[in-house]
Amino acid sequence: MLKGKCNLVVFGILAGIVAVILAVMGNPGNMAICVACFVRDIAGAAYLHTAPVVQYMRPEIIGIVVGAFIISLITKEHRSTAGSSPMIRFVLGFVTMIGALMFLGCPLRMIIRMSAGDVNAYIALIGFAGGIATGAFFLKKGFSLGRAYDSKPADGVVLPVILVILFLLSITTTLFAASTEGPGSMHAPILVSLIGGIVFGIAAQRSRMCFAGGIRDTILMKDATLLIPIGVLFVVMLIYNIVGGNFHFSMAGQPIAHTEVLWNILGMYIVGLAACLAGGCPLRQLILAGSGSADSAISVVGMLLGAGFAHNFKLASSADGSTPAGRIAVVASIVILFIIALVNIRRNKA
Amino acid sequence: MRKKELRFLVTFHTTAGAMAMEKICKSSRIPGRLIPVPREISAGCGIAWSAPPDAREVIDKIIETQQLEVDGTYELVI
Repeated sequence: MLKGKCNLVVFGILAGIVAVILAVMGNPGNMAICVACFVRDIAGAAYLHTAPVVQYMRPEIIGIVVGAFIISLITKEHRSTAGSSPMIRFVLGFVTMIGALMFLGCPLRMIIRMSAGDVNAYIALIGFAGGIATGAFFLKKGFSLGRAYDSKPADGVVLPVILVILFLLSITTTLFAASTEGPGSMHAPILVSLIGGIVFGIAAQRSRMCFAGGIRDTILMKDATLLIPIGVLFVVMLIYNIVGGNFHFSMAGQPIAHTEVLWNILGMYIVGLAACLAGGCPLRQLILAGSGSADSAISVVGMLLGAGFAHNFKLASSADGSTPAGRIAVVASIVILFIIALVNIRRNKA
Repeated sequence: MRKKELRFLVTFHTTAGAMAMEKICKSSRIPGRLIPVPREISAGCGIAWSAPPDAREVIDKIIETQQLEVDGTYELVI
């Protein structure tokens, strides 16, 4: 047991070091490695939206999935599975992005923003934890998307292969859009990003790092094991930010962030609730997709299209704050999540 | 530190299965509790029911009579 916990600390340190390197090497402010932001950038690169400042085929996302894929093959944990309400998972991925782009970050970036002293992220944590608590309530009531079944081995390989092809096209052609200004233009060298992503993916797969799972297990089982790698990642980034002079404890003036309390809370409430219902945060969905889950792969596709939708219809916030359409979409997303939760509660015979 | 001991573990395909197991065991006063699935069993973000080994027989019976979507059962020192 102690050895297991040591491993969690080691993998947390490893993930933290990757985040520090990516931050130092050029990724945007307080965004060393953010699943939602980078999926959004990939959506932009593939012209699923055309917001000029957030378009870049981020190698980190490709690396995370491929890293999880490789390590799961090595440890013989790769299993092609499918069939657990894929379209509902698509919707969960989709609305996750509506919420994440309201707040401007996934749970991973929330932790990174917290480590830089961004008070808005601490406020958003209230919403995130509230979302997970709501999800845990529905789980206790019998919420289930049904079990997944073994599928054809090739099924679990599709997403990693597609991402590798996209990566190869991005470095050999000018097919994809690439921002010349704004967050999309800020990035570490391609190879550093790719290797960083792979190492992060391996660390996340081995430690089962899940920002929602940690809080969910604490609520459901009073077990905080899954919070260990996240706590360590936070501490590593905190040390980096303090040493590097990037730590500023404030609400205003934080990079790629806004100060709207209610909408930061509600945005992350969506992410927390959707993650709890889907059985994993956005990072975990990438890891599970890499490990063979076609259901999680569908959720990732939902995130990709959700990101495109959010920018095309001006739902995504910016440093200036939220948009009217974004606020409506957030409320609608919460309603959708409650409908999904309520209609999928199963009455057990017990 | 807690001493390691042999436990009978049940893993589930769905969290709902684990929740239902907890409910049944609690109402029937069968010992055990929910724990995160140990790393050596599976990479899933799942939840397992952990019980003393001598509860195996009665739990096996519950699994048989209730549809709990059980993934597997194990005896493990944790």
